[in-house]
Amino acid sequence: MDFSDAPAVADFRAGLRAWLRDHLDEHRDASGYESAESVERTLRWHRALAGAGYVGVSLPAAYGGRGLPDIYEAVVNEELAAAAAPPPPPIGHIAHAIADFADEDLKARVLPGLVGCEEVWCQGFSEPGAGSDLAGISTTATPDGDRFVVNGQKIWTSGAMWSRRCLLLARTETDLPRHRGLSMLVVDMETPGVDRREIVLASGSREFAEVFFDDVAVPAADLIGERGQGWRIAMHMLAYERGPADMGWVGRLGRVLAGARDDVRSGRVTADAPLRHRLAAAAVDVQVMQWHVTRSLANRAADSTGSGGSVDKLLATRVEQNLYRVTADLAGPSFTVGPSGPFADYLWSRAQSIYGGTQQIQRQIVAQRVLGLPRG
Amino acid sequence: MDIQLSAEQRAFRESCGKLAADLAARWHLGRGPHDVASAVPDEAAWSRVAEAGWLALRLREENGGAGASVVDVTVLVEQLGYHAVAAPVLGTVIAAEQLQTWQAPPGLLQEIAEGAVRVAPALDRDLTGFAGTAAEALAWDAAGAEMAVIPTSGAVHGLGGPLPFTDLTREVRPLDGRPVDPSSLTLTAPGDDAAARLDAFALSLLTADLLGTMQSALDAALDHARTRVQFGAPIGSFQAVQQLLADSHVLVEATRSASYYAAWAADALDGRAASRAARTAKAFASRSAVEVCENAVQVFGGIGMTWEAPAHVRLRRAHADRRVLGDEHHHQGVIADTEFSGPADAGRAEADLSRS
Repeated sequence: MDFSDAPAVADFRAGLRAWLRDHLDEHRDASGYESAESVERTLRWHRALAGAGYVGVSLPAAYGGRGLPDIYEAVVNEELAAAAAPPPPPIGHIAHAIADFADEDLKARVLPGLVGCEEVWCQGFSEPGAGSDLAGISTTATPDGDRFVVNGQKIWTSGAMWSRRCLLLARTETDLPRHRGLSMLVVDMETPGVDRREIVLASGSREFAEVFFDDVAVPAADLIGERGQGWRIAMHMLAYERGPADMGWVGRLGRVLAGARDDVRSGRVTADAPLRHRLAAAAVDVQVMQWHVTRSLANRAADSTGSGGSVDKLLATRVEQNLYRVTADLAGPSFTVGPSGPFADYLWSRAQSIYGGTQQIQRQIVAQRVLGLPRG
Repeated sequence: MDIQLSAEQRAFRESCGKLAADLAARWHLGRGPHDVASAVPDEAAWSRVAEAGWLALRLREENGGAGASVVDVTVLVEQLGYHAVAAPVLGTVIAAEQLQTWQAPPGLLQEIAEGAVRVAPALDRDLTGFAGTAAEALAWDAAGAEMAVIPTSGAVHGLGGPLPFTDLTREVRPLDGRPVDPSSLTLTAPGDDAAARLDAFALSLLTADLLGTMQSALDAALDHARTRVQFGAPIGSFQAVQQLLADSHVLVEATRSASYYAAWAADALDGRAASRAARTAKAFASRSAVEVCENAVQVFGGIGMTWEAPAHVRLRRAHADRRVLGDEHHHQGVIADTEFSGPADAGRAEADLSRS
């Protein structure tokens, strides 16, 4: 048992700390998607982090990563959290899907742009008729010579408004059982026939969009893996997406907690004893979540079920939603009267138990795949 | 970074589990609150405990011990919790570590390691910390113990009869008013770092006992959910039951991560960092274990409410462990005062630090 850094990890950590000392200040407010300006600030932060070599560190060096073990991703998250920095770009799950399944030509063409954060990517999975029941998607990619022709509609597509590429889950085989008829494609969002429509969330965030595909031509060379492999790739991705470390979750919550701590210690916000105790309880939660994520990253190679991400997401969601209830109360009257910042943050925390697989779906995965309970 | 048990530790876990299961097998004799078996181990059982080296595990070699790491000790303690072992191993190990930290004579420590002298830790009346005086102090996990020591005075006290206690697997006993004459010990107060390390050690062990307790509650509930049939199907196939058990699994795994970190930190970090980690782990384990054991009672339905089913034994042990050396409210209170206090709260933080 050893939670401490090996010498190489310690060097990496020290390097990142030094980089943050020099560069973080100009990016402090780079974490929003509420307006074109905030999106621009966020992308600038992602590019700065990528330029310094701290995005996709566990990906092969040939594709813009550094070929380091998964645990280095945890180090990046821990250090960003400790420095109260904005989260890293949420691309680990997309990058791993491509790195693990695409052929060499496709990897070489798209991975450097993704990992370097030069091109923004979105993920076209959910549809109006297929949310939790993802295998029920009806968007089709019909083979037609050396291309596919895509028709259908995606929804809840994060970052679609400013994305250059979309990782699209679509049905290529209409005569096969539903899980087996899916394939994964890389779609250039500037192809004729792609239409996007913004979705404004209850919190005011403009991160999401609907995407419509009307006879969109996609080169056959942009198929990831093989036809019919889409479901397997999607599950592989979700295992990463549900791992909080990959998504900058630990960093984000650490940042919120650090902000609350500073507010209280400096006297900017007055907290009575019950509220201070609730903050301490939230601090316990965040700390335990951080230890847990570190442990799961260190052991991910041995997670034979691939369901560890669901455990982590359930834990992180519970921790996050409690934390935001506490910071809502810390905001006091300004939570309801005044600028909507604290309320919007709280509202966004409610989305954590919905996206990437709802809390209920995650529990089913844990119950059936980890605990081995029978399907109903 | 290597966050798992070593091959040796896994083998040790297996041998501990076997003996713990054996020791626990004799416990389920009570058929009601009035004929519950005593928690006091018989001579044969206690000899097996001593022969297994459990009491000597953590003591340094010059004190007759094996000098094991805190992680090694928590491997054992998780099994004690898993099998709800009644023999007072945990109390003895904590009392021995306290005496070792206060530089008790090697001869005494050696006798404790061999099982020849049976000692229990003296805690405050509310069980939240080590007792500073004998008045109203309680010896915890004291079944069969002959004595408890108040280290500040070196006084060795005999013990009264067991008090009614939630945890049926352990005894709590008052200290005799007057020390046993003339056996006062000459002890030396530890420095701040060693004192913090002792706290970290004890809290890490309680966390491991809670972890074992909740894991066994979950495993038993899972077995029941797979076999109990209602509406023509195992109740474990119903989503409502599955969701309850999935939530329990998440809490068990998070507690395991916290337990591993705290145990590693108790040896690897300085006293202050180690005790902060252990405090955090104990707070999380305390609330999580109660929730998991309550969920298990729920899955067992009416059976879970009977004396014969062991679900309540685990819930009881979880509640008692939760209180011993501070529940979540206590530890979160300390964290609130040290890390979340503003200028208007000044002074309180220092007062609380010295208290804890």
